[in-house]
Amino acid sequence: MAAVTLRGIRKKLGTAPILRGIDLAIAHGEFTVLVGPSGCGKSTLLRTVAGLEEPDEGTIHLDDRDVTRAAPRDRDIAMVFQSYALYPHLTVRENLGFGLAIRGTAKTDIDVRVAEVSRMLNIEALLDRYPREMSGGQRQRVAMGRAIARRPAVFLFDEPLSNLDAALRSQVRVEIKRLHAGLGATMLYVTHDQVEAMTLADRLVVLRAGAVEQQGPPLEVYERPASRFVAAFLGSPAMNFVTAVMGADGATATAEGLRLAVRPALPGSKVLLGVRPHDVVPADDGGIALRVDVVEPMGFEAYAHGTVGGEPFVARLDGSVALPKPGDLLRLTVPKRAVHRFDPETERALSEEPG
Amino acid sequence: MNQRSRWWSELLVHAALLVAVAFALYPVLWVVSLALSPGGTPSPRAIPLPTAVSLDNFRAVLGTHDTAGRWIFGRQLFNSVAVALCTAAASVALATPSAYALARMRFVGERGGMRVLLATQMFPGVATAVPLYVILDGLKLLDTRAGLVLVYATTALPFAMFQLRGAFEAIPRELEEAAMVDGATRWQAFVKVILPAARPAIAVTMLFAFMSAWNEFILAATFLSHEEAFTLPVALQRYVGEHDAQWGRFAAGAMIVSVPVMAVFYAVQRHLVGGLTAGSVKG
Amino acid sequence: MRAALFALALGLHGAVAGAQHLSLWHAYHGVEQQALDEVLATWRRAHPGATLDVLALPFEAYASKLESAIPRDHGPDVFIDAHERLSSYRSLGLVAPLAPTNGVLADRFDETAVRALSVDGELYAMPLSVKCAALFINPALVPLLPSTLETIEGMRATLPAGVFPLVYESQSAYYHAALLHAYGGEMLDARGRYGFVGPAAERSVARVIAMTRGRVIPDEASGALVTQLFSTGRAATAISGPWLAADLEGRIEFRVIPLPTVRDAGGHAMQPYATVEGAFVSSRAHDLGAAAALAEALTDVPAAVVRARVGRQVVATRAAWGDETGLSQDPVLAIFRAAAASARPMPVHPHMRAVFEPARQAILRALRGDRSVRDALVEGKRRFDDVTRPLPPRRDATMVLLALGLAAMGLATTAVRRAKDPDFRLALKRSLPAYAWVAHAALTLALLVVVPLVLGAATSFYAQQDGRSYFVGLANYWDILTARGGPIFGAGSFYRVLGVTVLWTAANITLHVGLGVGLALLLSRPLLRMKALYRVLLIVPWAVPSYVTALAWRGMFHRQFGAVNALLGVVGVEPVSWFARFSTAFAANVTTNVWLGFPFMMVVTLGALAGIPKDLYEAAAVDGADAWQRFWKVTVPMLRPAMGPAVAMGAVWTFNQFNVVFLVSGGEPDGDTDILVSEAYRWAFTRQAQYGYASAYAVLIFLMLLLVTRRRGAEAA
Repeated sequence: MAAVTLRGIRKKLGTAPILRGIDLAIAHGEFTVLVGPSGCGKSTLLRTVAGLEEPDEGTIHLDDRDVTRAAPRDRDIAMVFQSYALYPHLTVRENLGFGLAIRGTAKTDIDVRVAEVSRMLNIEALLDRYPREMSGGQRQRVAMGRAIARRPAVFLFDEPLSNLDAALRSQVRVEIKRLHAGLGATMLYVTHDQVEAMTLADRLVVLRAGAVEQQGPPLEVYERPASRFVAAFLGSPAMNFVTAVMGADGATATAEGLRLAVRPALPGSKVLLGVRPHDVVPADDGGIALRVDVVEPMGFEAYAHGTVGGEPFVARLDGSVALPKPGDLLRLTVPKRAVHRFDPETERALSEEPG
Repeated sequence: MNQRSRWWSELLVHAALLVAVAFALYPVLWVVSLALSPGGTPSPRAIPLPTAVSLDNFRAVLGTHDTAGRWIFGRQLFNSVAVALCTAAASVALATPSAYALARMRFVGERGGMRVLLATQMFPGVATAVPLYVILDGLKLLDTRAGLVLVYATTALPFAMFQLRGAFEAIPRELEEAAMVDGATRWQAFVKVILPAARPAIAVTMLFAFMSAWNEFILAATFLSHEEAFTLPVALQRYVGEHDAQWGRFAAGAMIVSVPVMAVFYAVQRHLVGGLTAGSVKG
Repeated sequence: MRAALFALALGLHGAVAGAQHLSLWHAYHGVEQQALDEVLATWRRAHPGATLDVLALPFEAYASKLESAIPRDHGPDVFIDAHERLSSYRSLGLVAPLAPTNGVLADRFDETAVRALSVDGELYAMPLSVKCAALFINPALVPLLPSTLETIEGMRATLPAGVFPLVYESQSAYYHAALLHAYGGEMLDARGRYGFVGPAAERSVARVIAMTRGRVIPDEASGALVTQLFSTGRAATAISGPWLAADLEGRIEFRVIPLPTVRDAGGHAMQPYATVEGAFVSSRAHDLGAAAALAEALTDVPAAVVRARVGRQVVATRAAWGDETGLSQDPVLAIFRAAAASARPMPVHPHMRAVFEPARQAILRALRGDRSVRDALVEGKRRFDDVTRPLPPRRDATMVLLALGLAAMGLATTAVRRAKDPDFRLALKRSLPAYAWVAHAALTLALLVVVPLVLGAATSFYAQQDGRSYFVGLANYWDILTARGGPIFGAGSFYRVLGVTVLWTAANITLHVGLGVGLALLLSRPLLRMKALYRVLLIVPWAVPSYVTALAWRGMFHRQFGAVNALLGVVGVEPVSWFARFSTAFAANVTTNVWLGFPFMMVVTLGALAGIPKDLYEAAAVDGADAWQRFWKVTVPMLRPAMGPAVAMGAVWTFNQFNVVFLVSGGEPDGDTDILVSEAYRWAFTRQAQYGYASAYAVLIFLMLLLVTRRRGAEAA
């Protein structure tokens, strides 16, 4: 177990900046998830921590040790790859023991450790198989087992679940969480899947174009997104955005039947309002008018897609009530505390209450 | 109707393949029948079956002794095997690390090097034989098997490097990254992970180097001037000289030379297409 | 020094003390090799302390190997060769003089032999034997000994059909010379000028044509055919050397007489060439005395008797013909000895080596009838002049050195400037680990691939004479690109050979790809039975060593005993002389190369086909494409990226495919099927060792391939 500290990490690929100054402090035993859309630099950052890429600037410390220029093998880390990267010519047993063997661990110790790990992951029956003889889920387990067997200071995960089908994915997700609890190890996990990000993380780090957009406990990030980007990225279906105009009083913004007190600003200036689909409540009258064009019934709930004032808008409805039909006009109200306010220029969040 | 036309098309496919097989096997059978026929001159027959079977030609070739009474055939067979095996080993040993660097690392001179490598394939060997002779002489390796191995291995090197570079590029980068994270140095990752994963490609590359050395006779005839150092193809050449063609002996010798290389070829041929990495990556 | 040698050679060789190590090279085969082996075995018994390495080499490669090995101390101490090579060996400094021509030693041998092996009063080789042609007669078919060629021709009327009155290698300049001499002509005059043109030559060739048309002699007889026809009673007479006797003894009754006279030539006799074989001592022999002693030992009386008895050689040692040996009672050897005495020694001029091929081609052309006799002979002379043309003049290399120096300085300055560029230095520093991975391969490649290539290319600016090179500037290129002053598309001109090469490459690649893709498509049919078996059988051509199959194909295209003609015979086609015409010879080459190359394309295609996702076909089928459209719209575009590099590589290899052309057609007829590489090979190794000229060909090939592949690469990008 170790703490990981990144300071001012910058990296360019040719002339294109990939990482533009990343500072991150990961505590002992913390499960940190790096999340962001593809191309945001999250994998590069992870590989930088692993030592597979060298930063142009900045430092990486494991506890107090500067490992910025250290080779991967000198960092005491383990990594689970998206493709699992199992050695095709080795059996599961040999795959699990590879890291130990290469560090000169005694044969008997390796056997003990492999047995322990395979018991933990329930892959004892697979020990003499080759990677090509296993299913995707089994390979994924072996890949994790290979990391665990090493007992590294830090675990790195690079989208380890993205090649699994949906059912398996949620199952393994739970297992990873359980594993973290059991091992208490420092883990750094990269994903583009916000469900994984939300469910696994002790701390969520949202990356955008090579910089940290926001970090914090997942619920905090979810509830108080620092920017339109984070707000839109987390949550499914994504947050709705409506542009509101400040009224003559300079403190109330109006948009399509939504009236909201915001921080004083010039009358006529604009503010971006964000509403999660889950936060709307159907009403008989007043509120927002959603012109429905598609309804997705999911059983216990349903999503009504349509437009509000010409902009796309999604509302979550209770599945047990009568659903609207395409063409209907749906009236919705939004509790005031559920409305997020963003500056339309900078797209940063504006403080919640009028100051 | 459908049933019938399918039957006919199946028949046609087999007919076409059988014609191709006949084309492929005819010269081989001709050599075999020649080798088994008693007497030196071939008889003009359309069907390559010997009229009488005799092993005289084989006996004569296998029992070749030199003037000093040494069993020169055995010596030359040993030379051929040693030279071909060493060539295969040396060319692959030389080619693998550099092919790996070409596949995985970016460095100054990489593109230029690749271009030179490609260009060497276009220069006819005719013009390099004489300089090679001089260089080998300078290295005191003329008329030695080591010199021959060195020349064969380097001649086979560009192709081996292309072949292996392609094979290494097809191996996912994550494999060696995983090994390095697991505690391997780059070299260990290469030896313990990349090389085993590239086994089929290495086998095929070795096969090609082996075959090129096993079959080569022009350079061998130029560089070697001891009967004891000769390889079999050079010895075989003598049976079909301009003034004296012992076709039966040649055919018997040709079979002796061909059988080992065919055996190796068929042992490795299933790797000619496809590889072993399938399954290690993705589901 | 010579006195010492002389003393040793007189018979003191047994006294040489200490362990000797000697080596001897020869190009003998058959009974002559057997005889030599016996002689050497005796020598070994007499010299238990000495080791002797013997190397038998193919005749074709013999001279060039001697010329390259001896100057580098890798040659033999003693080698056996014919006298006509003496002057060129001497000018290259390869041989050591052994004794004065008029000395005691020389008196032991036949005078003609001594004269042939001497230059400027020095004997350069121990005379071994004298060879010439004589007439073999089958007494069962020829009751009366024929004394004129006309008598033999007359036998056509009386001999049964299928029996030729005469058989000999009519297209060979060596045998034809006898007839030419009867007509008063000569192959090469004393000053080294080509003589096989003019009235005498025309009459002699016309005579051969008449005999061939009149079925007096068979068409295109090879040495093997001569033996075969005569020994099976299908030829009444044969012209050949004493070596034929060894093949005949015990198989058929025969007699030997001198060659007949030719009434048509004013009654002059056919006068064969005499060649004298001798044991030469290398100028680089480790121990000249011991080497000379070995050479001498080959000629002592017991050795000579063995060579005569076993090897059927007309030995040059006088004493061997004494009564006690009984050699003079041997009817065959005695006749040959007599014939040799009146034969014409083969000219010793270095140009003699260049005569045989043009003369042979001239006779072949005339026999084929595609030229008039005169034109064919004139063409032969042109070829000879081409090969022996005066070397380009020496050029001053100062300007070139200056230019090279300036270029080097320019390069150095750019290098220094780049080295100062911080970005470059950083990139270089980052490259250091990678260099550790490539250094050994780069070094070996540089030493054994790049340096020979550069040296080889540099040779193209030089010409070679007597083993020395001198700078000639771009003269070699100029000669090649101007077709050496001949017609632009004349035989052997660069442009014509280039045309053949392009045709060759295109034909092969088309057939390789067509056959390979076709078979792969058949093999990848999902429901095909015995798929694996077919695949294994179809890649057989790939597994067999290519030179074995190339030689096997040459045998199969043989006119007399080739399987291809036998197959054609089954459907009633007359035997085809495959290598007599460009079209058939080219077809034979292409057939061989297609056979060799289609499995590779098949396997590559199979791999590429396996990579095409099935759903593409399904999608195309759903979209309404029929099988044909699926092939052109799905298979072909999907195969193209995978096949592209293989086809490009294959084209480069085919362009430079030396083995097949060299081994199958050997350029026949008359170099017409030669491609650029085999043409370059001929200039380097069979035409007066013109390495510079050959290198210029190689550089041109290289530049053309580079240009074409570059252009294609640019198109693809």
